[in-house]
Amino acid sequence: MDYVILSATLLAIGIFGLLTKRHLLKVLISIELIAVAASMNFVLLASSLDKALSQTFLILAFSTDTCVTAIILALLVMASKKYGTCDIRKLAEMERNGKSEDGCG
Amino acid sequence: MIVELIAVGLVVSACLAIYLDEAVYSVISLACMFVLAAILYALSGATFAAVFQLAVGAGALVVLFLAGEMLSEKPKSEKPLRNTLLVVAAALLLSLPPFFLSVSAPIANVSSSFSFAQALWDLRAVDVVLQGLVIMAVAMGIAIILYEGKKGG
Repeated sequence: MDYVILSATLLAIGIFGLLTKRHLLKVLISIELIAVAASMNFVLLASSLDKALSQTFLILAFSTDTCVTAIILALLVMASKKYGTCDIRKLAEMERNGKSEDGCG
Repeated sequence: MIVELIAVGLVVSACLAIYLDEAVYSVISLACMFVLAAILYALSGATFAAVFQLAVGAGALVVLFLAGEMLSEKPKSEKPLRNTLLVVAAALLLSLPPFFLSVSAPIANVSSSFSFAQALWDLRAVDVVLQGLVIMAVAMGIAIILYEGKKGG
């Protein structure tokens, strides 16, 4: 079995979700899928070269992924509390309306 | 055979995580995907990576589960079971290419002279320290964002 194709499939599913879904939680899940695809590609290819070093890199990558997840979750909670919706199109529309009312847009 | 089954399960659960409208079901599918990825890492010999995947995945998923429960709006109409089965069938089709196609170049089997601890602390110690600083900065940033939101709202 080819792990590169498997991780490319996961990457494609993640990108599809990122492009089609409007809920912020789904966007976050899509980003998680993309991160898992990247990590998997890295680990499974590198494990045949130098297992210890590749796992070290992966652990560093995991902590970065977790930081990204935490930031998006904080934004999600903020957006939900402030605007009452997690739909990214509605949020963008509100942002545009707010800007045009301020005279900035 | 086990690896192939895990790969199929990985693709199916990833598709369901994207497709399902109910946030809680979606997060449960993502949890399945994390667990299957960890098993795949363990089977390919990357034990530390598998343990970290499980630990980080569990932490992230608890938070995601709570956020999903708190913030999700109930979908207006239930998706019919037939559509879900169609998505599972599409996912099964999507999981076939890794078995038949191959793009990997042959890799020379280089023997490793480092243990995990040596690789982490002797070679990448600076990275680990910097990573700790990044995590602290992120934690402070999130605290500031949430504090500002509380003050503003």
